[in-house]
Amino acid sequence: MSLNRRDALGLCAGMAAGCLLPRAARGAKPIIGGSVDLQDLPAREASWYKKLEHLKVECGLCPQECIVADAERGTCGVRENRGGTYYTLVHGLACSVHVDPVEKKPFFHVLPGEKALSYATAGCNVECKFCQNWEISQFRPEQVASWYLPPDALVRIARQQGATMTAATYSEPTVFWEYVRDAAVAARKVGLRPLVVSNGYIKPEPLREVLPLLEAYKVDLKAMTEDFYVKQIRGHLKPVLEGLEIIKKAGTWLEIVVLLIPGLNDSEAEAVRLARWVKGHLGPDVPVHFTRFHPTYLLKNLPPTPVATLERSWSAARAEGLNFVYLGNVPGHRGENTVCPGCDQVLIHRVGFSVLKNRLKGGACPNCGRKIPGVWS
Amino acid sequence: MTHRLTRRDLAALLGAGAVSRVLGASQARSGRGRVGTAEIPPHARPAAFSRAVGDAVRRSTGMDTAEAAFRGLFGRRDTVGIKVNCLGGPRMSPRPALVEALVEWVAGAGVERSRIIVFERSSRELETAGFTLRKKGGASLCYGIDNDYDRAPTVTGKVASCFARMVSTTCTALISVGVVKDHDFAGVSAGLKNWYGVIHNPNKYHDSNCDPYVADVVRHPWIGGKMRLTVLDGGRAQYQGGPAFANRGVFDLGMVAASHDPVAADAWAWRMVEEERARRALGTLEDEKRAPRFIQTASRYGLGVGDVKALKVVGA
Ligand code: SF4
Repeated sequence: MSLNRRDALGLCAGMAAGCLLPRAARGAKPIIGGSVDLQDLPAREASWYKKLEHLKVECGLCPQECIVADAERGTCGVRENRGGTYYTLVHGLACSVHVDPVEKKPFFHVLPGEKALSYATAGCNVECKFCQNWEISQFRPEQVASWYLPPDALVRIARQQGATMTAATYSEPTVFWEYVRDAAVAARKVGLRPLVVSNGYIKPEPLREVLPLLEAYKVDLKAMTEDFYVKQIRGHLKPVLEGLEIIKKAGTWLEIVVLLIPGLNDSEAEAVRLARWVKGHLGPDVPVHFTRFHPTYLLKNLPPTPVATLERSWSAARAEGLNFVYLGNVPGHRGENTVCPGCDQVLIHRVGFSVLKNRLKGGACPNCGRKIPGVWS
Repeated sequence: MTHRLTRRDLAALLGAGAVSRVLGASQARSGRGRVGTAEIPPHARPAAFSRAVGDAVRRSTGMDTAEAAFRGLFGRRDTVGIKVNCLGGPRMSPRPALVEALVEWVAGAGVERSRIIVFERSSRELETAGFTLRKKGGASLCYGIDNDYDRAPTVTGKVASCFARMVSTTCTALISVGVVKDHDFAGVSAGLKNWYGVIHNPNKYHDSNCDPYVADVVRHPWIGGKMRLTVLDGGRAQYQGGPAFANRGVFDLGMVAASHDPVAADAWAWRMVEEERARRALGTLEDEKRAPRFIQTASRYGLGVGDVKALKVVGA
């Protein structure tokens, strides 16, 4: 079946009217993975590329800086050179759409207990051997069941579901940058807060351009060594650190997640190094989440991270002077709570992704009055 | 779930008539580094293809007749997959008439036509290149992988990919049918790089001149253990501007080449591209920092002869 733009829009509108979410899409079939060929969908010219001789293009969206020959795609698999013009193939082509508590992203300092409509397209610009979402991130858009959900439809679903935020997440929002930007604009128009959950592997210019539209940005800082980035991710550390500084400087709320993988990035020395870098370059108030690894994708040979290892990094980072250090994937651990750095009172009590109690008053500790940084209202 | 091959997997793949039945061990050994060629003009008539393909394969094997050569390569029980590289569209893909001729030769070796499958990544690419899709019926088949990949990735060297079920499951024997062309990143795209078309994520493996990735894909037993033949349609070839068709980089080579040694076939294609570049006073691929190093890597892996000087080219 060939689908023109109007067909696609019609299909989307019908779908949105007939159901609330694609995953729960009673009767609404995915258009990719259904009867539609990706090549028949409207492709949009990509941002951030330049044309080179011999019909080649150079993508400037992420540090991979792919030079792409005619008829080929960049490393992320979602951008294609068609006769010397570069296209994004995934604008509005969502493969995952869910409503999640914002704690699941995780954001612990952004509207606790509220919901974010989370969305993703296929594709990623790196290849983490431990990717939890490899079934969408490591595939091309034509290989993943997807729905045509342009920004307006996305926002409509978010509101229907009672979400107060949208979150580009799961795979890698950098590779669907244009969709993120347009969805953020659409979200702002109706009072929703747009969030991004990213590996931070993006060039400074596109990052700077999108930041003013966003409420918060979460970066997975995979490790503090170049060696880890090269061997486990097929990327580099430096651009991620630079990106973190750009986000902080722009004033967009920032949180950092570090997945601790046994034997690869979980030493106490590395936690200390990380904490010192964060404190020195971003300040002590940027939340850092140490999360627990579970064997998956290409790292099934490693065990889950021992809780003791997580606690060691947690203590080390706190000892270095970071004010908000959390543990993730250890439900019920006290490291999930937000504690006042002034008086040690528990301010937000969490278990897993649930907020059991939020004692913050006007963004401050009710006990000592200390302001707690974050997006609280 | 990732899939690493066990000894048993390897034995099953390699022992069950894949390499062992091909030409016999000693003949296979003598086929290393040997490339058979035949003339085929860019605008040949259909009848000429059959002769050219037969001659090239016969010469590559050293057998007396093409019939014997194909009988040595394929058996009645085989399901033969012919992977064509159609990325270059109608103007720089293997010609359907040449592939039809090849199908007839394979059928002549006793393989049922319904067990000969011409395939590419997508049905759309096949149609664009001029092939007629056939998904059933008594004739040979022709259709795209169309995203029918294994669900779990397999690790082979530095590559982690889901392979097309066409190669992992359906076919017992494989033929790579490529063209002779320049490739902006890999240097040369002929028979070896054609196998990027059976993994789900080739976009991940274009850095470092595709080295060692191409060789890593080919050495996987689902490819290396099943590949019996490489045929290169060099009627028209491309010395510059690939992998897409680029008019300004095309020349008439007028040859078809075949080899039981996939690395030797690529080394020959590399030589053809370099010779044309030299004729046009262009720098070598090495000068442009895109020599096809994956050919040497494949050679180091023991997949064939990658040294251009060591090739034994048997032509008309
Ligand atoms: S966004 Fe994609 S195409 Fe662009 S540089 Fe990054 S990986 Fe390459």
